[in-house]
Amino acid sequence: MKKRLLAMLLAGAMVFGLAACGNNDQGSSQTPAGGNTPAGTEETGGETKTVKVGLICIGDENDQGYTYNFIRGKEAVTEALAEKGINVDWVVKWNIGEDSSCEEANIELAEAGCQLIINNSFGFEPFMLKVAPDYPEIEFISCTNQASWTDDLENTHNAFANIYEGRYLAGIVAGMKMQEMIDNGEITADQAVIGYVGAYSFAEVISGFTAYYLGAKSVCPSVTMKVQFVGSWSDATLEGNAAQALCDAGCIMISQHSDNTTPATAAQNAGVFHTGYNNDMIPVAEDASLIGTRIDWSVYFEYAIEAVANGESFDQDWCHGMDEGAVVMTPLNEAIAAEGTAEKLAEVEEQIRSGELQVFDTSTFTVDGAELTSCLALDTDGDFVADSEEAVFDGAFHESYFQSAPYFTVEIDGIEWLNSAFG
Amino acid sequence: MSEHHTPLIRLAKRDAMARGQVWAIRASSFLAAILISAVIFLVMGHNPLGAFGTMITGALGKNTAIRQTVRIAIPLLGTALAIAPCFKMRFWNIGAEGQITAGAVGASYFALFWADRLPQVPLLLVMAAAGAVCGGLWALIPAFFKARWGTNETLFTLMMNYIMIGVVKWLQGGPWEGRPGSQIIPQFDSAAVLPKVLGVHCGWIIVLILMVVMFLYMKFTKQGYEIAVIGGSENTARYAGMNVGWIIMRTMFLSGAIAGLVGFIVSSGADNTLHAGVAAGVGFTAITVAWLAQLNPFAMVAISMLLAVLEKGASTLETQLYVPASISDIITGIFLFCMLGCEFFINYRLILRGGHREGAVQ
Repeated sequence: MKKRLLAMLLAGAMVFGLAACGNNDQGSSQTPAGGNTPAGTEETGGETKTVKVGLICIGDENDQGYTYNFIRGKEAVTEALAEKGINVDWVVKWNIGEDSSCEEANIELAEAGCQLIINNSFGFEPFMLKVAPDYPEIEFISCTNQASWTDDLENTHNAFANIYEGRYLAGIVAGMKMQEMIDNGEITADQAVIGYVGAYSFAEVISGFTAYYLGAKSVCPSVTMKVQFVGSWSDATLEGNAAQALCDAGCIMISQHSDNTTPATAAQNAGVFHTGYNNDMIPVAEDASLIGTRIDWSVYFEYAIEAVANGESFDQDWCHGMDEGAVVMTPLNEAIAAEGTAEKLAEVEEQIRSGELQVFDTSTFTVDGAELTSCLALDTDGDFVADSEEAVFDGAFHESYFQSAPYFTVEIDGIEWLNSAFG
Repeated sequence: MSEHHTPLIRLAKRDAMARGQVWAIRASSFLAAILISAVIFLVMGHNPLGAFGTMITGALGKNTAIRQTVRIAIPLLGTALAIAPCFKMRFWNIGAEGQITAGAVGASYFALFWADRLPQVPLLLVMAAAGAVCGGLWALIPAFFKARWGTNETLFTLMMNYIMIGVVKWLQGGPWEGRPGSQIIPQFDSAAVLPKVLGVHCGWIIVLILMVVMFLYMKFTKQGYEIAVIGGSENTARYAGMNVGWIIMRTMFLSGAIAGLVGFIVSSGADNTLHAGVAAGVGFTAITVAWLAQLNPFAMVAISMLLAVLEKGASTLETQLYVPASISDIITGIFLFCMLGCEFFINYRLILRGGHREGAVQ
């Protein structure tokens, strides 16, 4: 009996040992992420400056989408600034909710001595704004939100990128593929239907899928689109099911504004094509995924952190796109893309960069059969209805022109909303 | 042969233990928690002394830190007070999460739609009352079913949580949504925000008053006595002429009302808005607080502060020593495990096979 007790204890010890090893592995893999910067701080020889930057994330790198894309930006900018003699000492808070825990995280980082605090999710802003007035010497950034121009605070900032430019290019890749299928007689012209998995009927999503549709339409005039909202920014199962339902409804091209890769795999299983977001999805769906687009946050981070390092002020509302490399395309899947896609992409990208081509050119789409001639951009009184700044001028709707956060919410012809329950 | 059937380890209920001995067990379990945590820190490559120092200074070292810690403790204490009378009655209310949320919904309704019609003080009072009534009614539903048809209250109250959280999700995306498509309810008007006292929203005063009231209620009132009798034996209560069903419903309403008040405090004082995660697991953690405090309201203050220090300290560990948040969760888990576990050893003793002859004879 004593022996059995001993065996049990031994087994327990082994389990604990295994757990300890597991921790150890995790520890060593964690250290490079957080540990490399303090190490760098020690070598203050020369004119090395160190900036302590806080980053508050709604998820962690495991999402392989939204937050992962920020982490890539963080790593890229750390390298880029190291070459300029600026050390970035990062303090990251993972998996923070859009509630008072975000306020606490901002206080925590401010108290830890961060000079710049980046909030990565839209819903963080109201909580960041409660902390910002108490720390006027610290710069606060809320990515994708919009209060900096109305909050009367000098130290709050907003940033976004013209992701609609990348969407437009992805749309061109999709449109060329469908036009090629029409020309080859694989489908009829009216079978060129795109299925789009959207998170919510939110301006950022509407702006994105409209740009995508317009890109496709510019090379495949007969294209139409169905949009299915899933009611979550990140729900792998719902996204996959929505993509599957769209395939069943006859869509031959799937795209998405949601965080997971399940729409890509669903498209592959259904034998249709796909374009992605946030991340290169070719590795998970090599027969379906044509291309993807993502924001390269390192461009903005470099701008903001360098300004802080040099004690300079920086824009309170920042939005750039392909002009500064803030929006990039993930690799093109040459094996399945239509012929000539790469050349066409390079050509249109240059047109966008130079300003020759406007994505929301009002001559390329209609609303209830008529051309869009007037649409207000900004809401100044807080009732969530736009009431100022005419966005339509010079023959185009100017997205992200008056503020960084997207404000295109028009339902244009050719795009069918299958549900708007999440509006 | 008989020895063959004796299990390797048996449990026996202990007789009442001397006070000093009880506290010695508690102190040693606390020490054990510290030692096990120290091993984890060592494995992670951190100096345990430094890590514990960081946790304590991170939670209590500065005024801002103390305020943050207190903010974490407020809803824990309030909710532990809410579930205490139910647990005393041996009615397992696992639904505080939903009752907090229901209270937050009631309070938020007035915060969102009456802020321009009422001055601050009446508005806050109305919000508090609405929170208490909503939380109380939400708790009354399972109590009614239990009193009338003897349904299982543990499952019932648990399921009610998810319904209420679903209701808030619907409100967030539907009628109360702010910017279209954002799924976010706008921040409250400043009139609907609890004022701060000493840098922390005055919810801390409310829960401290509640603590005293709850202590008096449980100890010195007829209703408190009835709750204790039902907790001891429902049949005794019935034999004594108590209307058990009525008392269950009354107590659950009270419990839900206090939880609803906590919902009001959290939404008005901390979040300044309503969202599906308003209860943030407090309804469950508070069960641990109430249990560790053995339903004593004054002990609950100490326990909820201890948990708040652990949570805030863990957060500082993450920012200062780059310890992953999951490790901090493990540390908190170890503390809870040891502290709850020691209560087990205070109530029971282990008898190894062959260890105690006199036990084996029986």
